[in-house]
Amino acid sequence: MTDEFDSVSEDELHAYVDGHLSQPERGRIEAWLERHPARAEEVREWQAQAQTLKQHFASYARSDEGDRALISARRPTAGSASSASLLRRIAAGLLIFAAGALAGAYAPRFIAPDAPSQSERLNESLPRQAQSAFLIYASEVRHPIEVGADQQAHLATWLGKRLDYALTIPDLSPLGFSLVGGRLLPVNGKAGAMLMYEDGTGQRLTVLLGRNPDNRETSFRIASEGGIETFYWIDGEIGYAVTGEVPHELLQKVASECYRQFEGSSPS
Amino acid sequence: MSHGRDGQGTGTGADASAPDAFERDVLALMPALRRYSRSLARSDPDGEDLLQDCVEKVLARRAQWRGVNLRAWAFTIMTNLHRNRHRRQAQHPEVEFEDALGLSAEEENADPLERQRLERALDRLSADKRAVLMLVVIEGYRYQDVADMMAIPIGTVMSRLSRARRQLAEAMKDDNVIALRRPK
Repeated sequence: MTDEFDSVSEDELHAYVDGHLSQPERGRIEAWLERHPARAEEVREWQAQAQTLKQHFASYARSDEGDRALISARRPTAGSASSASLLRRIAAGLLIFAAGALAGAYAPRFIAPDAPSQSERLNESLPRQAQSAFLIYASEVRHPIEVGADQQAHLATWLGKRLDYALTIPDLSPLGFSLVGGRLLPVNGKAGAMLMYEDGTGQRLTVLLGRNPDNRETSFRIASEGGIETFYWIDGEIGYAVTGEVPHELLQKVASECYRQFEGSSPS
Repeated sequence: MSHGRDGQGTGTGADASAPDAFERDVLALMPALRRYSRSLARSDPDGEDLLQDCVEKVLARRAQWRGVNLRAWAFTIMTNLHRNRHRRQAQHPEVEFEDALGLSAEEENADPLERQRLERALDRLSADKRAVLMLVVIEGYRYQDVADMMAIPIGTVMSRLSRARRQLAEAMKDDNVIALRRPK
């Protein structure tokens, strides 16, 4: 490590600061530092810096009451559902209707209605924005959308271009919902898209898509306020939120179906 | 929570087929993982988010764990998640305003401005340099351990450590005169 007896390498200085040296080695380096005040000054700076860093982050080395839930929530599902639960889900789905089973079998992620809320802070704005959009536009009788379902291809191209994303418009007809149309609106301060669907009774749902600044993936999450529920998730660059005032189970099926069909879309 | 310098995990003797033992080991690691995630992240929410992603991955990949040193294995997963995110963030570098001011309310003993100055300076380090610095300084890993965890030669660990220390010191000095000079 040393070229000659009276020299100290850069690596040794770091090892000295980080406490990786034996006592005799430390003594040799301290003697050397006394003769090299400029390097001694730098070493002191690194030592102070290390002390500051340790103190700065020390308080984070703690348990959190949500930790246990965080771990157990991931237990049964990681990857794919077990065959037993898949069978159960299919059986249950058959009892209701085939589309339900399909949605269940395709939903690759678990539903976490009461997942710890710490992580929600970062993306809580997505469901909030989705609910505002739903409240404003779903109640709009005359102009709920900018481009109608009769121009579906144009709608997909136009919104896809603004979002910079190869947008597929999900077909929700198996669940009884048909496309009304869509519009451009701001999501997280950037161009986002809203799609609106309606069932035979005029019950409306919205699907919001927005660019997600910190590209990553999440499981399905649920937010509800005043009877309006939002299922939302983030898949890479895009955040999705399905909002409606419909039964929980139905909204979940819609979300699963959207997830499945959006998977065919890819970032352009 | 105590953890040895070389991070011999608590799960050394655990039977990987017993789910509860593994989960207990992960639970025991949470304080260490929380601190490491926060030391890599830009803000408290960002740190919790990284932590959650990491725990999710650790549990999903438990079958791939070779049964030794759970702590180092989990830290490696965390480091890789951090590097991936940072790579993507470089393409979309916006930071939400509230995140940029991620000051911890619990640090009543420290000057909040000083804390913010340090955070800003850290945010200017590359993901790789930041990870090396934290693994060495805060987590107490030896250089060879860091090289193994990040799959890089030990010489690269040393040069990143050296540059991280100098760059951080420079950034802290720059930040003193931020009103007069716009940092590059």
